[in-house]
Amino acid sequence: MDFSAFSSQFLVGLSRAMILFVVCAGLSFVLGVLRVPNIAHGSLYMIGAFATFTLTKLIAGSTGFWIALIVAPLLVALVSLIAERALFCHLYQREHLMLLLFTFAISLILGDLVKIVWGAEYRSVAAPALLKGTISILGVSLPRYNLFLIIIGPLVAIALWLFTNKTRIGKISRAAAVDREMVGTLGINVSWVFAIAFIIGCYLAGLGGALIAPTVSITLGMDHTLIIEAFLIVTIGGLGNMWGALVGSLIFGVTQSLGVLFWPQFAIVFPYAAVVIVLLLRPKGLLKSVW
Amino acid sequence: MRGKEERKLFNEVIRSKLFGPSIVIFFVLLILPSFIPRFYTYILALIYVTSLLAMSLNLVVGHGGMFQFHHAAFYGVGAYTVALMLTKTSLPMWTGFIAGPIVAAIIGLIIGWFCVRLTRLYFAMLQISLGSLIWAIVFRWYSFTGGDDGIHGIRMPAFLFSLKSSYYFILIFLVISLIMMYLILKSPFGNTLQAIRDNPQRCEAIGINVRRHQLKAIVIATFFAGVAGVLFVVLERSVFTDLLFWVLSLEVFIMCLLGGWFTFAGPILGAAIIVALRTFVGIFTEYWTLILGIILIPLIFFLPEGVMGYFQEIFKGRTKEVAERR
Amino acid sequence: MLQVEAVVKSFDDFKAVNEASLSVGKGEIVAVIGPNGAGKTTLFNLITGQLKPDRGKVIFKGEDISELPPYEICKKGVARSFQIVNIFPRLNVFRNVQVAVLSQQRRSNNLFQPAKNMVVKETNNILESVGFLDKAHSIAGSLSHGDQKILEIAIALGNEPELLILDEPTAGMSPEETSATMELIRRLAQMRGLTILFCEHDMDVVFSIAQSIMVMHQGRTLIQGKPDEVRRNQVVQEAYLGVD
Repeated sequence: MDFSAFSSQFLVGLSRAMILFVVCAGLSFVLGVLRVPNIAHGSLYMIGAFATFTLTKLIAGSTGFWIALIVAPLLVALVSLIAERALFCHLYQREHLMLLLFTFAISLILGDLVKIVWGAEYRSVAAPALLKGTISILGVSLPRYNLFLIIIGPLVAIALWLFTNKTRIGKISRAAAVDREMVGTLGINVSWVFAIAFIIGCYLAGLGGALIAPTVSITLGMDHTLIIEAFLIVTIGGLGNMWGALVGSLIFGVTQSLGVLFWPQFAIVFPYAAVVIVLLLRPKGLLKSVW
Repeated sequence: MRGKEERKLFNEVIRSKLFGPSIVIFFVLLILPSFIPRFYTYILALIYVTSLLAMSLNLVVGHGGMFQFHHAAFYGVGAYTVALMLTKTSLPMWTGFIAGPIVAAIIGLIIGWFCVRLTRLYFAMLQISLGSLIWAIVFRWYSFTGGDDGIHGIRMPAFLFSLKSSYYFILIFLVISLIMMYLILKSPFGNTLQAIRDNPQRCEAIGINVRRHQLKAIVIATFFAGVAGVLFVVLERSVFTDLLFWVLSLEVFIMCLLGGWFTFAGPILGAAIIVALRTFVGIFTEYWTLILGIILIPLIFFLPEGVMGYFQEIFKGRTKEVAERR
Repeated sequence: MLQVEAVVKSFDDFKAVNEASLSVGKGEIVAVIGPNGAGKTTLFNLITGQLKPDRGKVIFKGEDISELPPYEICKKGVARSFQIVNIFPRLNVFRNVQVAVLSQQRRSNNLFQPAKNMVVKETNNILESVGFLDKAHSIAGSLSHGDQKILEIAIALGNEPELLILDEPTAGMSPEETSATMELIRRLAQMRGLTILFCEHDMDVVFSIAQSIMVMHQGRTLIQGKPDEVRRNQVVQEAYLGVD
């Protein structure tokens, strides 16, 4: 076994895991604070990717991508703010099963809206000039873009951690995740806390979509494949637990890329098998869940 | 003794309220293909297959209270089993037909055994993960399962050559399956299952091994899902990986909700509505899923008992009024 | 018939039951009393298998049942009713009891016979003995609270138990309902040769019917003895009866 091939694949897996982490952190956050299993999270991810495509088409050159990276998630966040104020905020008291089916319905609608706006063809986005090509680290070659992702991941984690532990709203969100009624009785406007938490979760979905845009073909149906992976990751990590989302994403991303090394045809089977093994041994997830 | 019990059973079936109208409907459905365009015959057969799938799910969801979130996996397994046996082996065709439901039930037993030990949410997630694993394997095993492309042009036995004969075959097995499911739900097994749905703790306290009972229900439900899978192949002569994908599982769930999951025939209604809508809306626009999503939203919140449940409540309300007036 | 030997059960750091012991003889009517939070329901859950003891043993008819699941314990001849009403709300009264009878007769797995006509005699028998024959077709969820508590008992009877455990059978009942229910329990015990273990807050109820009383306080057994002994006991009076 070639060490450099192994480690280069490992790093690729790590970078894929970082994108998964960004998306899953958002999903886990919404799940933990709002108790909403948001199937439309995958649709928002897809919208983020398609929006990045359009922005890079509108603004030529590398700056297009950097702008898209900032704007696309904000667009997604705006869409979700509207959806939250119009629909979601009335539904937080409902049964989880109903919320799940409701977000599924929303994902169907969003999926077709994407089809209407962007059509059914595959789209692609080029990486910005700064991040094109490969770089060599300790003798291991790695695409620059992947290195970028490996750096972004922990930055998002730190930002999220700072938010939930150091800002007032963040701390209230954490409290609401554990005891919603209590927070309400403290006289805090829970409704706005929930709105902000929801927006942040959706922003992360859009960010994930923007980040993955240069690395895959952007297609319809990417919402469906992603959301199942995201739910499985969030479950094996521990529901509502950000570090759990990180652990789960690492397991998923790394097993998939190592799978490419060992058995390329069945690479995608490896992460699902890993998830099954984890859930058989620890059905409630590896880390503590909020539920 | 046997004769007496069989006669009791027969009387029970005859006297049940559904019997009269069911015979009439069955007769109508039998003669229909001779009068309607081929396309409608096809759609009806598709509704039958989907109804059976939805009914099989409802055994464990509506009547059993379990979160069976990846039922499509068993349907797909049944379909792929018969497809593979018909195309890859030279065994007699009927063995494929029988193997489909049996393999589906065996997978149901294995997956179910792991799932029943968990509470609802984790039951669902484990099942989704196992079902997705099956999907991933089939998706990638191009040489054996046709992978992404699926398997097409599957040859059927001679007597199933025409659409009409496939229609009758499917209808007959649908009816047999429905009768069996009806009897199962009215039996002590079914009653106990519904009691478990309502209060599993109480059932444990009255001596019922809840997990084992639920597992048996899952095996029965997945068996019928396998039957539906086989019937699908009879109709379409092909299989593809979408049959195993989680989206179908959620759609079937919605069919049960739409039709009414506490009623017996609700899922049939739900399946019929969804298939009919998909077909006829699909003629006008390619954005059928958008319409489905829009219809679902008010449904989820205003009709929790589904369409049939809603009508049942009205019906019950009116008969109560009549009784009180007397 | 039933021996509980120094059982202990903790939840995280809280010792809900801290060395409780109990002895129930065949045919006796035994009561467990104690203030709220004394651990009575936890003790019952330990006996009927909803919980497993951290230490100590539960012995029924000479057999150690401490580690058995609830459905196994039920099959040995122990049936119970719950403090918070625990019936099958969507089913009618007849089916509520029928499910228990079918389970008792090991016919729950019967797949193809219509259940409507099975064990009708036995079920109606039980319904008659609690006076519910006329209510057989009412939906259980629509019954009054008091009736639901009696239905609880009826369901437990479906298991043809030797030992019937009742967790606060008259909770939430009016005085008339309470005495009617206790009279019913006494009659049932006599008719069916039942051994009864129950817990209650109502002291009149307890002292009128119990032959042996066990007093619990903060998870521990203070004393078990005949009603007069218990009434006269200093420790009990200080800890419990005096405050009442």
